[in-house]
Amino acid sequence: MRKRPDLYTNYKSESAIFSTLTQKVWFVLLLFISLLLPFYLSNYWMLLVTTSLLIAIASWGLNIVSGMAGQINLAHGVFVGIGAYTSAVIGGVATSSVIGFELDMIFWLPISGAVAALIGVIISPVSARLKGLNLGLVTLAIVFIGSHFFSNLKFITGGAGLGRKAAKLKFLGFDLDSGISIGNLILEKNDVIYYFSLILCILLGIGAKNLTRTKIGRAFSAIRDRDIAAEALGINLFKFKMYAFALSSFYAGIAGSIIFIISGGVEPGTFSLLYSITFIAIVIIGGVGTVLGPLYGAFFFTMLPGIIQVILHALGVADTGFFLNAGEIERIVFGFFIIFFLVFEPRGIWGIWFRLRNYFKAWPFSY
Amino acid sequence: MAILTEVISFKDVSLNFGGVQALKNVSFDIKENSLFAIIGPNGAGKTSLLNCINGIYKPTTGSISIFEKDSKELHPDEIANLGISRTFQNIELFENMTALDNILIGAHRHVNYGPIRSLFYSKKVREEEKKARQISENVIDFLEIEEYRYSFILSLPYGIQKRIELGRALAMEPKVLLLDEPAAGMNNEETEDIARFILDIHEELGITVILIDHDMNMVMDIATEVVVMDFGEKLFQGNPADAARDQKVIDAYLGVS
Repeated sequence: MRKRPDLYTNYKSESAIFSTLTQKVWFVLLLFISLLLPFYLSNYWMLLVTTSLLIAIASWGLNIVSGMAGQINLAHGVFVGIGAYTSAVIGGVATSSVIGFELDMIFWLPISGAVAALIGVIISPVSARLKGLNLGLVTLAIVFIGSHFFSNLKFITGGAGLGRKAAKLKFLGFDLDSGISIGNLILEKNDVIYYFSLILCILLGIGAKNLTRTKIGRAFSAIRDRDIAAEALGINLFKFKMYAFALSSFYAGIAGSIIFIISGGVEPGTFSLLYSITFIAIVIIGGVGTVLGPLYGAFFFTMLPGIIQVILHALGVADTGFFLNAGEIERIVFGFFIIFFLVFEPRGIWGIWFRLRNYFKAWPFSY
Repeated sequence: MAILTEVISFKDVSLNFGGVQALKNVSFDIKENSLFAIIGPNGAGKTSLLNCINGIYKPTTGSISIFEKDSKELHPDEIANLGISRTFQNIELFENMTALDNILIGAHRHVNYGPIRSLFYSKKVREEEKKARQISENVIDFLEIEEYRYSFILSLPYGIQKRIELGRALAMEPKVLLLDEPAAGMNNEETEDIARFILDIHEELGITVILIDHDMNMVMDIATEVVVMDFGEKLFQGNPADAARDQKVIDAYLGVS
């Protein structure tokens, strides 16, 4: 006999990540497809998928601090930058103008996260005294301070307009920059990055889910919804806002440390205000405060240029003198979607998914 | 009954907001295991008293000692962790969460692990979460709100929301419970329910209860001691039956010409 899906008979199954068999089956299926993806997709689409996974990690970070704990952070891109430069310094090659230690990924990956988290902890006291828009303005200042440092610390970043090479992909002594072959299987550099991103995305995604189902996530939501009540219940606001900033920047740092290896270099101009705002847009489009939302949002954001290209080609206007180029169309469409989601579906893509699922659960009955 | 000691004592507490004096030289002691009621007309400073105990307001002059610690040196969350929990006059539940999650947040101080363990959902986390859930389930059982466990707060009626807020405060397993108008806006039947719960909390769980309410019948029936406030001043302290006969109290409630 089939069980009722929402009837829990013990604590363990109720608090599980995948509470039903259907969810488990879908997860395994999705995992299987993800593992095979590099063998079926072209390089261009693989790059987009990899970028999506890494952007998703960074967006989870922003979702922790802004979506779960309700502290507006407009400077998330700066933390991604801190991760990128930490990895570039520890794992990158030294030249006449920049320093680099060419260490293994096993060092630079956790250290990039830790350094970003540390900076997050350092700026978190700001949030202890400020709320809402005021906090947003202060984090805005951090974007500009960050840009200034990124442009002027030339021995780390290479300076504005020039940039430097990203970290070398070396894992446990294996040099993966030129790809790796296991028997007949040849994995290129980008495939290796894809698998690393996939693993990190799954692990950090589970981490984000774990936060929501434990005390830390509950305390974050309490602070977001009613901070005075949260304090009266014994939640130390200062401490938990610090946790939120630290975890958020840790996610950003991890994402940043890998994401620039794909293109091979980092340039300080990347980490502008627009870059930080992008993450906010992704979280809003995906679904604020949900676990899967940022993942959907990241894929949506990263895939959009690819999809627009395909559509333009199909319409035959890609190369002809259309008055807008692909990049401009992409920005317009993206802006339109932000407005659309804020007005019509504040719960984002996750909200659409939630309603679709509930509709088909009861299908063909409407209740 | 156990030895009567003071859990909270006010010494000459005054509280000013600019020119407004919310409390004027208020002094009284709250004994352990009492069911202490604070009554008075609107604007008398009753909620200010609770906010002072709670640490949300700090007294302008005078001092409040909570378990023999000075409240001025403590943050609201530290006071809460001493075992002081409260409900609010206007419901302050976390509306986007289920009743169960709200009560689990109440059990926050009994759950002990850091964010890194939480990321990994380690064994310790699982054990502590189980403990929190056990505490919450006890509270749910005690307040008879089993059917609302998974309901979102916004979908619940006012009376039930009040009861869930009481549950959230109880999940702290407090030593002292501050109730700010638990029966406000309730009909007679619901008021009786709440009164029964308050008596149970006081007698079965042995929690010191500090209660603010306008429902005189309920206060006179259940309180062991009562303080009457008017315009920030203490008018009367003592037995509820005596309060009803005190001329100053009658004047404050009925008004004098």
